Amino acid sequence: MKKPGSRFSVRAAGRGPLTLLLLLPVLAVSQGCSLDENPVSVITPDNFFQNEEEVLAGLAGAYAPLRALMEDFLIMGEATTDEIIVPTRGQDWFDNGRWIELYQHTWTANSPAGLDDTNSAWEGFFGGVTDANIMLSGLEGVTVADQEIIVAELRTLRALYYYSLMDLFGGVPIVTEPVIVARPRPTRAELFNFLEQELTAARNDLPTSWPSNFNGRMTRGAADAILASMYLNAEVFTGEVSAGGLQPGQARWQDAIDAAERVINSGVYSLATDWVSIFTADNHLSPEPILVVKHLNQSGLGWNFNMRTLHYNQISPSPWNGWSTLAETYNKFDQDDLREDIFLVGPQVNLDTGEPVDERGGAPLVYGDINDIFQANESEGIRIYKWPADADRVQTDNSNDVALYRLAEMYLIQAEALNELGNTAAAVDLVNIIRDERT
Amino acid sequence: MTAGETATVDFSLQIQAVVMEDLVATGYGTQERLAITGSVATIDAPEANVGVITNVNQMIDGRVSGVRITQNSGEPGSGQQIRIRGGNSINASSSPLYVIDGIAVSNAQTEADGIGIGGSAGLPRSPLNLLNPSDIETITILKDASATAIYGSRASNGVVLITTKKGAPGDVSMEFNAYVAGGSAANSLDVLNGNEYRQFVQDQVSAGNLDPSRLAGLGTANTDWENEVTRSSLTQNYDLVFSGGIQAARFRASLNYMDQEGILLNNGLQRIQGRLNATFSAFDDILNMDLRLTSSHNENKYVSVQNAGGFEGDLLQNMVVFNPTQPVTVTNPDTGEEEFYELGPGRQSVRNPVAIAEQLQDEASTSRTLASLNIGLNLLPSLTAQLVGGVDRSGSNRRTYLPRESAIGAEWEGRALQQERDRTDITFQGTLNWDQSFGEDHRLDVVGGFETLDSDLRTFSAEARGFATDAFSFSNLSGGNIRPIVESRLEEIRLLSGFGRANYSFKDRYFVTGVYRYDGSSNFGAGNKWSSFPAISASWRISEEGFMADGPFSELRLRGGWGLQGNPAVPPYSSLITLEPGDDYVFGESSITGVNATQNANPDLKWERTEQISAALDFGFMDNRLAFTLEGYVKNTKDLLLEVTVPQPAAVGTRLENIGKVKNTGFEFSFDHVAVDNSSVTWSYGLVFDLNRNEVVDLGIQSFIANGGVSGQGQSGQNAQRILPGHPIGTFWGPEFVGVDEQGRQLFNQYEVQRDADGNEIGRTLIGTTLVPGGDDKTVIGDATPDFGLGLNSRLTWGKLDASFLMVSEVGQDVLNNTALVYSTKSNVLQDKNFLKSALDDPIGIAEPAIFSDLWIEDGSYFRLQNLTVGYSFRFGSNALRAYVAADNLFVITGYSGYDPQVFTGSDTGRNSAGGAGVGLGRSTPGLDYLSYPRARTILFGINFGI
Repeated sequence: MKKPGSRFSVRAAGRGPLTLLLLLPVLAVSQGCSLDENPVSVITPDNFFQNEEEVLAGLAGAYAPLRALMEDFLIMGEATTDEIIVPTRGQDWFDNGRWIELYQHTWTANSPAGLDDTNSAWEGFFGGVTDANIMLSGLEGVTVADQEIIVAELRTLRALYYYSLMDLFGGVPIVTEPVIVARPRPTRAELFNFLEQELTAARNDLPTSWPSNFNGRMTRGAADAILASMYLNAEVFTGEVSAGGLQPGQARWQDAIDAAERVINSGVYSLATDWVSIFTADNHLSPEPILVVKHLNQSGLGWNFNMRTLHYNQISPSPWNGWSTLAETYNKFDQDDLREDIFLVGPQVNLDTGEPVDERGGAPLVYGDINDIFQANESEGIRIYKWPADADRVQTDNSNDVALYRLAEMYLIQAEALNELGNTAAAVDLVNIIRDERT
Repeated sequence: MTAGETATVDFSLQIQAVVMEDLVATGYGTQERLAITGSVATIDAPEANVGVITNVNQMIDGRVSGVRITQNSGEPGSGQQIRIRGGNSINASSSPLYVIDGIAVSNAQTEADGIGIGGSAGLPRSPLNLLNPSDIETITILKDASATAIYGSRASNGVVLITTKKGAPGDVSMEFNAYVAGGSAANSLDVLNGNEYRQFVQDQVSAGNLDPSRLAGLGTANTDWENEVTRSSLTQNYDLVFSGGIQAARFRASLNYMDQEGILLNNGLQRIQGRLNATFSAFDDILNMDLRLTSSHNENKYVSVQNAGGFEGDLLQNMVVFNPTQPVTVTNPDTGEEEFYELGPGRQSVRNPVAIAEQLQDEASTSRTLASLNIGLNLLPSLTAQLVGGVDRSGSNRRTYLPRESAIGAEWEGRALQQERDRTDITFQGTLNWDQSFGEDHRLDVVGGFETLDSDLRTFSAEARGFATDAFSFSNLSGGNIRPIVESRLEEIRLLSGFGRANYSFKDRYFVTGVYRYDGSSNFGAGNKWSSFPAISASWRISEEGFMADGPFSELRLRGGWGLQGNPAVPPYSSLITLEPGDDYVFGESSITGVNATQNANPDLKWERTEQISAALDFGFMDNRLAFTLEGYVKNTKDLLLEVTVPQPAAVGTRLENIGKVKNTGFEFSFDHVAVDNSSVTWSYGLVFDLNRNEVVDLGIQSFIANGGVSGQGQSGQNAQRILPGHPIGTFWGPEFVGVDEQGRQLFNQYEVQRDADGNEIGRTLIGTTLVPGGDDKTVIGDATPDFGLGLNSRLTWGKLDASFLMVSEVGQDVLNNTALVYSTKSNVLQDKNFLKSALDDPIGIAEPAIFSDLWIEDGSYFRLQNLTVGYSFRFGSNALRAYVAADNLFVITGYSGYDPQVFTGSDTGRNSAGGAGVGLGRSTPGLDYLSYPRARTILFGINFGI
């Protein structure tokens, strides 16, 4: 502490050596005056994607958003239809009114569902695009094994993310570099053309199949399946929307038929005889799926759809008792239709034990129609049980893969396109191929 | 005290809480109080150390104008939110910089993180618990820009300078302080008791509103769950101090032991702390060395209380909702043993709260050592050099086990975690101080120097699940067959600074101070790491002028200043695009470690800066026995560090940018009056008053930021607040409740909003009511910032008797009673859950969900008797003994219906810190009552004994 004005008897002898002490911190500091950051627990793109293992890690990171996006796509694509409804159940599931908004189609730019669900899908799918862009830009200037395949795989994956964006939002900025800047929106047709070019170019470099330890990665069949699906909807995607409604774009029926035909004739896929096996926990063995979202019974890697739908007491761990189907949807199915079995309706059993199951209050659990979407009780609503619970699930994580495209859809795409072209008889034959195969 | 004087311990108390001593710590030196041109307040620490005080923040509350302190909760050792002249920042921290004996110390959390159960983990306890309040001599608060400018880059939220006690030359003295305190819950929540609940269910079934199956959920017990989980707590605190020495070598050594129980079951804080201050002088005081060493070890024990409530809830939420007709324990028919009653075997989402408290094990051992060496050299009579080296080292190990036999741990068949947090801050400072008078009238005092700080933070955590037995608890993670999480992390920060300050005075009447600091931080973008922070201020002691000689003023002084400061409080690596492992994917049938981007790059990231203009008037009468200070300020924060939405595509939805502006305008008033001062009686009292107006001026391209998530069942995605340009931080945003329809469904105002071409609202028309309020139906429904705050203190000594009190008050702030929103709902009964009795009086139907609206916004104004102390002193020879009784939180006058109107939630102390303010991207969310740990009312008895 300084003492202003105080007068010391100065002893010069003591001062010289002591002054050297001043140098101590200077020495300490001179070890480095740099303020550069060299993070060690995180990586920057400049020093990654250099070898096969790093490329595989990057690929896994670029595929990973698919898992979370299933939820966004289900909410935006299904909870807005009569297939899925999430009624308010007493204290549960009001959630800011967003489920009601989705069901009633009343969301706006600043309403709960608009701010929450729409944003989540927008940022989520674009996050996948960015993961691919970062890796594609990182791969420029380095040489790794199978580089052409990896690049084609990433372009196809990016196209898949973009396809979902085009489906949900129309024309969105086409970006192939990892630079954040506001860009104008192209038309939906421009985006369609970009995706068509990308997939057409990438498919040639993709393998027709992967060894089983790489099951789930992009294949030529996957690229063709996405193309077939895009061509089938080309009239809408390349059309123009005005106050007067949709002015359809050019139909691409024959292109859809051709793309689907390439998949069917690839020899890689065949129709599953047992329909349920397409959805069970071991469905990676099924010959039918073309492109799936992979799941595993490990923490954070599994499929938890049953948690959203089933009653608290119906399975372990206790689900959330939310998502249901409208009776109108359920009633559309023929009683003999195999697919009708995915619905749980009427008296219920515990899906682990097969024993009859009760509501939390003790009354038998009986699923039925929803009387009032604002005040549903815990047993109202028919439930979807399409993906049978994994017997080896770990908590909420089930290993059922979820098919985005499977062979049956290729037949149906062909059938629909042929029908549009006036060849209904051929279309019926194609549908019957599937019906005959199923048991 | 001078050399040779007999050191006697004197417990008679100072007259004023805010001391007017001659020398005041101002950062890198001291200054005479009269020469200070900035806004500086000093607290006499022994006087403010009344009641159960675990850290320095509690000693500031209500004693300095312009400083607002909010205790996070009633948990032992809980942290505080401290705001000096309002909050400047939104995403960056708004906490001040703490400086202990010249070393800036981190206010970031020292404890390893906990885990949340159905919600986010509870807030960390205060990192300042390391310092025993009894070791503090004075606390100096630097409030305005000219006072804080010497700390430049880290000072935009103010600075708290803490000076610890040192030994005095003379005979060795010894001091022993002890107290024991008993605490109990200061308030209770009014839920249905067992009989009322049974009656309600039966009535509702009879009326046909409830399915008869609900009757099966009724038990025969009458359990008051709040009573079962709370207890009378005991706190003990002991200090042993000895000090003394000769002029050339002095010391003060102290040992503290504190054991504080929480008023909820099974948690508390134990602290053992040793401290040594040693001073050595040689060569006729040319060389002066100060060694300071504090080492503290805290044993923290926790109960499951979440920060932000959550879905299934913690101990407190289950305390409210658990069925009051069920017993605490039942006899197991198979084993004949008593066990906790649960709704069923295995995992349950509604859990016995007593079982939560008794079964879950959660504790942390945290050690922190602060060591510094200060070498001073008087090179010339007017020239002094100082070298300071300091190390701040903390380590913490958190251990958590959720047993397989518990209703929560059953989900994982036992879940054990160990988490570690380890940080080291190393500081060097070198300063030169030149202090020279020129003739009688002029004096120049210049200090210049540099400072470096290197900080690193290491975290580690590992988790195991799937235990065959609960016998291992958290002590053998290999006992679990699933080990899903092993994580580690290292973050490094460096700050480099050069600074200078010049004080010039003329005739002890006119004072000018100029400060300049140049700071570099590694946290920012490559071209933006360095910034400069200047300040200038002046004062005029009008009372010294000849024309005032006959005036009534014993002191009349005008002060004013301007300055610019920074906030470096962003996490390291914020400007870089970073790839991290963690987002794995499945190829084939095995998981592949996925690496992808977790953060968007912003190479332009730079310092957030706050410009402050302030003016003050000090005046005193009767030899300053009556002293007043009036102060006003305007603070403009620009280049606001804000987490903003970015155009897609981008790796994540937002990034940190320097966008936006916040403005704080305020007025402060304080006065102290020594009303009586004679040989037998002294009586003084003081008042502090402040008001601050906060306004978010600009948010860049964003029209608002949603904030303050509502917690509880059915509340996903619901926010209670918006940060909106033109409004203060803490503005509540939601629908307006109108009433209910015939079915008891809640109705809200429905609006049609008129917008201009840019989409901005220009008007709204009420068009009816709606069941589901959409975007346009929500509007401003409250403001969580107080209109003004008050502190009132008084001290009286009458012979051997002394008495003091402190009252604090805040007026005009709104609070979201989230507790009432989700628990004052009859529909809880549909899930056999209890609810607050207030729900019986509202018309909302039994099938209605809890919907956030202005119905749940309450006035949070309060007036609290913080402390009341009465003591009596004995003296025998040179020994002194004082015995006293004190009460904390004796009463609160408020209209608020929850536990306590002073609430806080959110994380303000973040991942790492640049040796000062906490760093992180938590957002401050004032005014949300998530049912936090209730506060105690405490009565304590203590003695001070000295020889």
